[in-house]
Amino acid sequence: MEVVQEVPDATPTASTSTVPATAPGANSHVIKLGDHVIFRMPSQQTRIYKLEEKTTVNLGKFGSFPAANLIGHPFGLTYTIHDLGELRVMQPEVVKELEETQATNEYIEDIGEAVQPLTFEEIEALKKSGADAAEIISKQITSHANFELKTEFSKEKYKKRKQAKFSKTFTALAPSVPHLLDHLTAQGPQRVQWLRIDTMAQMLTFANVQEEGRFIVVEDCGGLVVGAMLERMGGKGRLLEIHDADSPPAHHMLGMMNLTEQELSPLRVLNWATADESHTPIFPPTELSGKKAKSDRERKRIEKRKEAVNLVLETRRELFEGDWDGMIVVSQYDPYSIVNRLGQYLGGSANCVLHSPYSSVLAETQLKLRQEGGWLNLQLTEGWLRRYQVLPGRTHPDMNVQGSGGWLLHAIKVYVLLS
Amino acid sequence: MWSRRRNIEAGDMVILWLTRDAVHPLVVTPGKELNNRFGVYRHADFIGKLYGSKISSRNGRGFIHVLRPTPELWTLALPHRTQILYAADIAFITGMLGLKPGSIAIEAGTGSGSFSHSLARTLGTRGKLHTFEFHETRVNRAREEFQVHGLSEVITISHRNVCKDGFGLENAADANLPAPWDAIPYAHIALKKDRVARICCFSPCMEQVLRTVAALNEAAFSDVTMFETLLRPSEVQQIPLQSIDAVTEKLKMGEVQKEARRLRQIEAAGVGHKRKREDLDSTIDSADTANNIPLLQQDMKHYSQSHSGTTINPLTVVKAPPEVRGHTSYLTFATLLPVASVTLEPRGGDVWQDVWR
Repeated sequence: MEVVQEVPDATPTASTSTVPATAPGANSHVIKLGDHVIFRMPSQQTRIYKLEEKTTVNLGKFGSFPAANLIGHPFGLTYTIHDLGELRVMQPEVVKELEETQATNEYIEDIGEAVQPLTFEEIEALKKSGADAAEIISKQITSHANFELKTEFSKEKYKKRKQAKFSKTFTALAPSVPHLLDHLTAQGPQRVQWLRIDTMAQMLTFANVQEEGRFIVVEDCGGLVVGAMLERMGGKGRLLEIHDADSPPAHHMLGMMNLTEQELSPLRVLNWATADESHTPIFPPTELSGKKAKSDRERKRIEKRKEAVNLVLETRRELFEGDWDGMIVVSQYDPYSIVNRLGQYLGGSANCVLHSPYSSVLAETQLKLRQEGGWLNLQLTEGWLRRYQVLPGRTHPDMNVQGSGGWLLHAIKVYVLLS
Repeated sequence: MWSRRRNIEAGDMVILWLTRDAVHPLVVTPGKELNNRFGVYRHADFIGKLYGSKISSRNGRGFIHVLRPTPELWTLALPHRTQILYAADIAFITGMLGLKPGSIAIEAGTGSGSFSHSLARTLGTRGKLHTFEFHETRVNRAREEFQVHGLSEVITISHRNVCKDGFGLENAADANLPAPWDAIPYAHIALKKDRVARICCFSPCMEQVLRTVAALNEAAFSDVTMFETLLRPSEVQQIPLQSIDAVTEKLKMGEVQKEARRLRQIEAAGVGHKRKREDLDSTIDSADTANNIPLLQQDMKHYSQSHSGTTINPLTVVKAPPEVRGHTSYLTFATLLPVASVTLEPRGGDVWQDVWR
């Protein structure tokens, strides 16, 4: 290992040592075997991989490498991929001020081949000969007829565009809620109910999600909302998810978040039938029937089933006991029907946050809840978010952005009767 | 933090909700009385009541709701000592910085302590908030509040001008917010270097953003981006939305009535009948006036019948309020990467662990 720059101060300061090692995700900044990692490629596209012993991370034209090469590194670094999947950490990119010149595009004619005589075949041949991104780009610049006519900003943009095409680099990102949401949104925002990071963050804040709280969640985001709530609960309290399947939900997104066993521990699930107080769930037998001695395997199976049944019964009891601190709903089902069923289990002063990509759905819900009473500070809101590029001399908002993160209806549960 | 029990007890901090614009904090103190436009209340009346209860006044003037405090309600109820960050910003910053229980954060500028409360909730008892404020009175007031709210374990407040004297912390924090631009070099020192650390700076003006960005680039932060975020409230109403069919029919009926009136007047005039014949021709297709009157009456009957049964179904609509918040602050985020200018061997993982742990 060749150290080019100073090594971080290894002596922990007083404040770091006060954090017990048991703090949730205490070591979550280091890439471990079994972790999910989001790979951001030069094109800004992302791929996610679970790193197992034998995993080969394949980033298409940007290259591939054995996942084992990343184990033990901190998240967040950018690497170049070399022959045989060797990785080298890149220096963090330093943004420079650009010297403005007199150049304009007054004399620039964009006529394809005449401007750039380098052909696709020639570039492919260069790549095959082992030329790296910098060499290819510098060849392209030299042969570019108008490059020197360009403004400095335009030159920079040209280089960036070419780097995004030829660089064999990637950034290893932690699957944090913002990064994961970015990745999933690019895959198809409908999978996460068109949630955007601002709206997701608002839900967690308005629902007052915190350690040791007791919360109810109904979501159709593959466990992303469940995961975001669990992360904020730090392994303490209770999170009860009500779902619409006859077996526990698969939670594909939750599985990508690198949450520890402890962080996952507050989660319990019921489905809409087992969460129905007037319904007596039908369970398969949990006692050994008949006098004949059963095999060990069967006895174990029955034992496991008994545990599962007891967990459902215990969770039901917990739900019906009521006094929950808050509820978040990001569901395709009618939010009113959900509040109508579960609202009774919320404690006084509990926060209820409902999400929908459709304002009209929540408007109807708000009217009904207002008429029914028992809710204070009913508020229908939509988040608005604008991101800016802030390169020196080039500050401007993004051109294409997600239209909306959906709508939120927020209310505080109160008791209707005077006391 | 605040009481987690179901019932209100003496000494609890509660939030009194009178109206949306009148939200007040109160420490329940037996023996004390509360007087407002919704009546007279004894603190003792609150004791034993469930949080979220609707409590009627002693003199029958009205009722109020008694709520459990949350950082959001506290912010609503707070006497605004300084410019405070609003719910949307607080939520967004917390989310973007990836704060969670156990995180260590630095807040530069405690102000009225509104954001501190929200941060303390998220960081939890295993986390830590180091908050700094250069205004001594504010420091003392905030410290007292944190004490009363049971947050002294989580929050350490210091009277210090961080722009001049730094944070006095090294390699210690996961996140720094909302740092003024001239504190950025100190933030670099205070943030952890063995992992990705994040910073958020907030600036009311664009010029400050540019300075902030320059300072962040200078201090080797990367991934510098800036956001604006707002929470846009909506009013939900039901409105009668009429079709033009109705007004068309009404206008038609008006025409018929008007014509009928004119014909009646002509009839009443009687003698002039023959002389006005030409005028009539232009409107009523050369028909005889006497025959036309009953016909018109029939028309009117028809119109009014077709209308009496029309009910307009109210439509639920969502509308922006006449005035909303248009801007709070520009939020500039950046990442401090682990110092790592090392060349790795393909199997360099083992060597690395020594450095990074």
